[in-house]
Amino acid sequence: MINQEEQISLFKIIGTQLKNKIECIVIGGSAMMFYGAKAATKDVDLVFLKKEDLDSVKKVLFDSGFNEKNNIKGIFREDEETSKPVMMESPQTRFDLFLNEVIGFKIHEKTIERLRELHEFGNFIVKTASPEDILMMKGCTEREKDRDDAAEIIKRFNINWNIILEEVKRQTKIGIVAFPLLLYEFLTELKENRKLDVPKNITDELIKIAEKMLKELRKKGQLIKVTKYKHKK
Amino acid sequence: MDFIALAKKLEGLQTISSMSKLLNIGRRTAVNYAWMLRKKGFAQTLYGKRKIRMYKISPFKQNTRGYPGLYEFLNQNSKIKINPPHIERIYGNKPTAEEMIVKAVETGELRTILSSLALFNKIKNWTLLSEIARKKNLGRKVGALYDTARTVIRTRRIDKKTRKSLLKNKTFEKFIVKNARTKDFKDIEREWNVYVPFNKADLEAYKE
Repeated sequence: MINQEEQISLFKIIGTQLKNKIECIVIGGSAMMFYGAKAATKDVDLVFLKKEDLDSVKKVLFDSGFNEKNNIKGIFREDEETSKPVMMESPQTRFDLFLNEVIGFKIHEKTIERLRELHEFGNFIVKTASPEDILMMKGCTEREKDRDDAAEIIKRFNINWNIILEEVKRQTKIGIVAFPLLLYEFLTELKENRKLDVPKNITDELIKIAEKMLKELRKKGQLIKVTKYKHKK
Repeated sequence: MDFIALAKKLEGLQTISSMSKLLNIGRRTAVNYAWMLRKKGFAQTLYGKRKIRMYKISPFKQNTRGYPGLYEFLNQNSKIKINPPHIERIYGNKPTAEEMIVKAVETGELRTILSSLALFNKIKNWTLLSEIARKKNLGRKVGALYDTARTVIRTRRIDKKTRKSLLKNKTFEKFIVKNARTKDFKDIEREWNVYVPFNKADLEAYKE
């Protein structure tokens, strides 16, 4: 586990060792720590928009005593080779470095427009994803801890549900086709099991979008394979 | 008391009267809530005209780590205020006015650059300013902005050596703000070979 102070120290180390300015987006628990919504996280998730930036940070991490974890088969969607992150781990913490997408959730212009905070560590510039985006990315997973995080986000922030609906429609076109279905399941579960305030019209709208997508796919005769993000024991 | 829920309810800019109206509570209770939210880091006090207190409330806790970024720095040091597009923090060395001027020019935003003119008043190390600006090939732009700032703000005089070094910097892009040029300050434009994006009326705010 890593807390905010340690995370900042690590980012500072990266920032001092980088030769050029590199930007990335911090997501998940690490972003929540920046928002003050979480005390500690297991792994630091960073999304890069350029391959060379990812490689530079990977090299810096390697030089700082992190080793690449290669045995990550079965954790991610089997059909999406590109969505697999580079995992750099040390005994205390792990860095997950993604390129342009997180488990099928594509990062695009609108996601970048929604970024809430910018933290500058010398040459390393870290931007925090918006709570709406973090919530949607958590929706692609099946880990219990992600559900806790999502619940915390809904409790703590005034989520703009319209952003979520718009993004779902966009993701079905550029990312995972079954995204509305995954998110619908995720939010319904949170609503029922944790009694969270998820507006009914949102879940209704999600299922409508999902049904529409399924109909279109059936017409085209395309089969969808959905595997949720899951840690293999 | 659930401060997060309270902050969520009151998110945005509030005054004591707006808080009391929104929560249907008395004025005294609203003052107490504002105080508690501020102590817990969910509210920040701002002053409006006639010294009316306003509270910027957010369910995000105020991040006190690091130093303020460009926009907060400009708001602290300039007459022309900017609504920051995002929260910005800088970690490591304390940012200086020299760095911030160059950063403001890098943004290419008219109001940010206009606001940054006030920072020329805070410059202590002209050599540092020149070094940073030349590294980013912004030497001539910074020089032109300095001369523009001199027309409205009292600043220390730049030494000849720094002026020369700024002039030596090559210009790749003549526009300080994309496609923005005016008919005023022609002499400054001629000297630095860049286009000043402001006219004299834009700088009136500094004279008020």
